[in-house]
Amino acid sequence: MHSTVRCVDTTQLLKGVLDLAVLAALRDEDGYGYDILRRLRAAGIDDVGDASVYGTLRRLFNGGFLNTYVVPSDEGPHRKYYGLNAAGRAELHRSGKIWHGFASTMDDLLRERGTA
Amino acid sequence: MNGTGQDEITAYVEGVRAALAGLPEATRDELLEDLPEHLAEVRAEGNGTLTERLGATAAYAAELRSTAGFVGGFPDPPPGRFVRLRESRDKGLRLLNRADMRVGPVIGYAKASDFLILLRPAWWALRGYLAAMAIAYLLASNRGGQGLLPRVGGSLVVALVLLAGCVILSILLGRRGARLAAWPRYALWSGTALLALFAFAGFVSADRDARSSGYSDVSSYEVNPYGSVRDVFVYDSQGRLVTGARLFDQDGSPIHLGDSYPVSCTDPGTGEATPSRSLGYPFCPQNAPFDTGRAGSFPSASPSRSVAADPGSSATPASPSVSPSVSASVSRSAVAGK
Repeated sequence: MHSTVRCVDTTQLLKGVLDLAVLAALRDEDGYGYDILRRLRAAGIDDVGDASVYGTLRRLFNGGFLNTYVVPSDEGPHRKYYGLNAAGRAELHRSGKIWHGFASTMDDLLRERGTA
Repeated sequence: MNGTGQDEITAYVEGVRAALAGLPEATRDELLEDLPEHLAEVRAEGNGTLTERLGATAAYAAELRSTAGFVGGFPDPPPGRFVRLRESRDKGLRLLNRADMRVGPVIGYAKASDFLILLRPAWWALRGYLAAMAIAYLLASNRGGQGLLPRVGGSLVVALVLLAGCVILSILLGRRGARLAAWPRYALWSGTALLALFAFAGFVSADRDARSSGYSDVSSYEVNPYGSVRDVFVYDSQGRLVTGARLFDQDGSPIHLGDSYPVSCTDPGTGEATPSRSLGYPFCPQNAPFDTGRAGSFPSASPSRSVAADPGSSATPASPSVSPSVSASVSRSAVAGK
């Protein structure tokens, strides 16, 4: 990122909030990997790749924020579902507050400078 | 799922694995653990090959690597390390469990731990004793001089009170241990571990002391037995004091006994100290232990000094203990004849 002057890179921004995005995608309903990718894209996060979702799910699971179970399927392969456990919900709440604080700070900053 | 689908997934996973060659084996395996199942899900929804839909394996690997290696927007526990730690702990517990089941029947119990649980109150009492000893040790000014009782300031009463208090407290803690909250319980455990270390060190030290008792007596023999000799008096076979004598060993080396020069002599009568003028033994002839002028006071060649010191014994020269040799009897008669 040193050679190009690009202050806002969606990919870079996404890296910082991907955990939060995946937790949020699982807030209302458990889901399996590809399903979660579809939810994120439907929500407007187009840049997210399949590997990112897969890697994030594994990391969140290893970190103890998710539980998982396998649902057999007649026509396709078995699906590994992920869901938030208590630690995951607490983290979603905590990280969500941090995000709101950060976003409103950025909003205020941009508004003061007259760029918004 | 058809065969070609499975092959495609396997090939894609292998491609990603090859692209992740730089990572440690364990990390890579962990990253790829669920990937075949995940790709099967992906492939089951929608059309097109995996490469068409997910991109080249190298790109997929790079994305996976950056995501998995990236610590997200909040501090989550490091995944790999704790998981591995927990795994090795579980493995250790399994081994322990197996040993528990094996050893138990040998000593007549279903499990060895059944027997150890029976021993637990004894351990609580012992722990109380060890704690009391540790407290006494820490309070003692003389760290080396600990006995078997936790004496503080050498007092037996304090020792017994401290011992009773610690034992009762330890038993109470032992009975309540399982119901303590997490942190007090950890504190109790680490305290107990420290105590065990202290006990081991104390035990080793006590063992060393017990084995080396008497060693100091032996060492006292190595001290020069002539260390207290200040002067040497030589008497000839006639019982006369030899003056200016020199002592030599079998190699002709001079033997130095007594004070080194200059020597001052204290007159036994006046107590006045004058410097010695003698170049050989004795340094102070006037201090001779045996007055050769008095009959019978010289010990002669008799090994028994107590007999020689008794002037009355000289009246019976035939006594075998007094005159073991011819020269001795001769000297006695010579002295007596003076």
